Amino acid sequence: MALGGFANRVARINLTDRSVSYEGINEDDARKYIGARGLGVKYLLDNGPETGAMSPDNMLALVNGPMTGSEVTMSGRLAFVTKSPLTGTVTDSHMGGWSAARLRWAGFDALLITGKADSPVYLEVENGEVAIKDASEIWGMGIHDTVKHFGSDSGNKTNTSVMSIGQAGENGVLFASFLNEDDRAAGRGGTGAVAGMKNLKCVVVHGTRDGRWRPEQGEERQKFRAAQGAHLKLIMESPVTAPSSVNDDGSLKDGSGALSAFGTNVLMNAVNSIGGLGTKNSQTTQTTPEAADAVSGETMRSDFLTAEPTCHACPVACKKEVEITEGVHAGLKMESFEYEPAWSLGANCGNDDPAVIAKVIDQCNDYGMDAIEIGNAISMYMEASERGYVDTPLEWGDGAGMVRVAEEMAMGSTAIGRTLGEGPARAAAAWGHPEISMTVKGQAVPAYDPRGVKGEGLGYATSNRGACHLRGYTPASELLGIPVKTDPLDWDGKGALLKIFQDLHAFSDSLDLCKFSAFAVGAPEYAALYESVVGVPMTEEDVMVAGERIYNLERYYNNQIGYGGDEDSLPDRFLNEPATGPAEGHVCELDQMKEQYYDARGWDNGVVGESKLRELEIIS
Amino acid sequence: MIIRFYATLRPLVGGRSVDLSDPADTIKGILEQLASEYEGLHDQLFDDDGTVRRFVAIMVDGRDIRHIDGLQSRVNPESELDIFPPVAGG
Repeated sequence: MALGGFANRVARINLTDRSVSYEGINEDDARKYIGARGLGVKYLLDNGPETGAMSPDNMLALVNGPMTGSEVTMSGRLAFVTKSPLTGTVTDSHMGGWSAARLRWAGFDALLITGKADSPVYLEVENGEVAIKDASEIWGMGIHDTVKHFGSDSGNKTNTSVMSIGQAGENGVLFASFLNEDDRAAGRGGTGAVAGMKNLKCVVVHGTRDGRWRPEQGEERQKFRAAQGAHLKLIMESPVTAPSSVNDDGSLKDGSGALSAFGTNVLMNAVNSIGGLGTKNSQTTQTTPEAADAVSGETMRSDFLTAEPTCHACPVACKKEVEITEGVHAGLKMESFEYEPAWSLGANCGNDDPAVIAKVIDQCNDYGMDAIEIGNAISMYMEASERGYVDTPLEWGDGAGMVRVAEEMAMGSTAIGRTLGEGPARAAAAWGHPEISMTVKGQAVPAYDPRGVKGEGLGYATSNRGACHLRGYTPASELLGIPVKTDPLDWDGKGALLKIFQDLHAFSDSLDLCKFSAFAVGAPEYAALYESVVGVPMTEEDVMVAGERIYNLERYYNNQIGYGGDEDSLPDRFLNEPATGPAEGHVCELDQMKEQYYDARGWDNGVVGESKLRELEIIS
Repeated sequence: MIIRFYATLRPLVGGRSVDLSDPADTIKGILEQLASEYEGLHDQLFDDDGTVRRFVAIMVDGRDIRHIDGLQSRVNPESELDIFPPVAGG
């Protein structure tokens, strides 16, 4: 194979007949769709968009990018790509940690899993081979115990990684997720439910750095070192991503970047301050400064922090391990007290108790559930309770009740748990009140209220995988000012802005580099890295075209199964119920933004036409 | 006037907020008052040419001064101020 970076080895695993075959990467596809997300969607498209999400024929694709596991900074991610049982669309969900790197070190670019085993199995991957093994002993275990079972609970100190589902995936919870290293999730879209349907418990990967891609000595290596050096330098010097360090007294040293020092949850106070924080199932858009600060990244660092682990090849170390020291959850040590679940289980549920948030996140990490979805499911249930729509009510801020309901969802042990386990969209519809479900295409909204951060409203609506903040992260512009500062309360111009973010992220998700790299670097750096690793000339413009191609490929998949402009929508609440706080009186002007967005995309009411498909070489 | 600080700015002012007893009526004036009292704060907020550093967010009643009148944005004694260093996440 002429392309650098890739292992040029893909395993096709059919669980029905328990067969494994091997093939190389299709070079033409790899040139067009880059890797990870883009290449994964191409595999899914070739598998047939009409395939049912919970049919054994649905493909679960684990796909690395061309630089995964290399020396490239932030290259420790891979994509889980499948047809989502939650949304019915194609979806991709990415995880950090070490599994992605080890999969590459074990000799693979991708594992393409189809079929359904007649009894529980797991995959063991090592030295370019995949074995299908009996998982009856671990079926029923939580993720923490599964990780311990394989001896990989000490994270990067071993050569083994485990990507596993928990009981939620086994029980068919539609927002079940995969996790690796105990706490690093491919959270969204229900990839864990697809695995559970297939009787696939986990993927165990053994690999050492000896298996990583390295450029040849000489000119190639010099070119790589220059590109990687420039990339790393910008990340190290960015006021956002600069690694944090502490003085002898524990105080932060000057120059520590806020993302590194406080994790993603440093956003809690910032988003609340502008009136963009959905509160009590998004009935209002701001909580009190005290409630926001009680669960913020600043409070986590000052009161609960115990360790600051990182992912493969990342100096930022945004992961924060915390320990709860008082109350009924005293002794709980957990990771991933991220901004998203701190919001979904915090202000969104009328809860300002960090111990409850930590507990439910840890339940998500053990049972294997999407913490954004579960927070929205609980908040919707709380609003249904307040309005008298359910017989067994749950009050705002009932922490013990939240913990109980989370377990009921994972285990399917009660009628409420089983209903909510299908996600807030289906649950609200079952109760006859779809208007209280804050979802798009069946997937729940993240932590930026579309009335206070309007570009994200458009982003949620037009995301190809249902409501998602990471398809096109306009808050970089609307809050921070990258690449330019735009007003979060102004809708005009957000269509073109969103397209740029969506295309850029589609490319970086396909490399697959951590999205947080985009706070420090951009298309020029991605192009230089790609060229130095893959060996194919790449310009800044090429990056954006490749990203556009991948975004259109996803849209093409969805169009073929009936998703168009009507599904690019938002809950009525965001369109008709005015915001509170600093965004008071604002609603999300979705129709105006969609018109600008479709113009920028060249789509006809959400449908990508044949001429655009040809222009982007998706079809010939 | 209560002025709230966040993230890496908190250690510089010794807490989560500062109570300014006789605040100026513009953001520029208030920042000068704060910078004179808290060592190191000026360098975190301003570039050498006196402009607010890129990505620093100063909010008056929840509106970023970049969308009001910048440093000339006016405040009144009832205004709520929030000052953030560069923060981002996902």
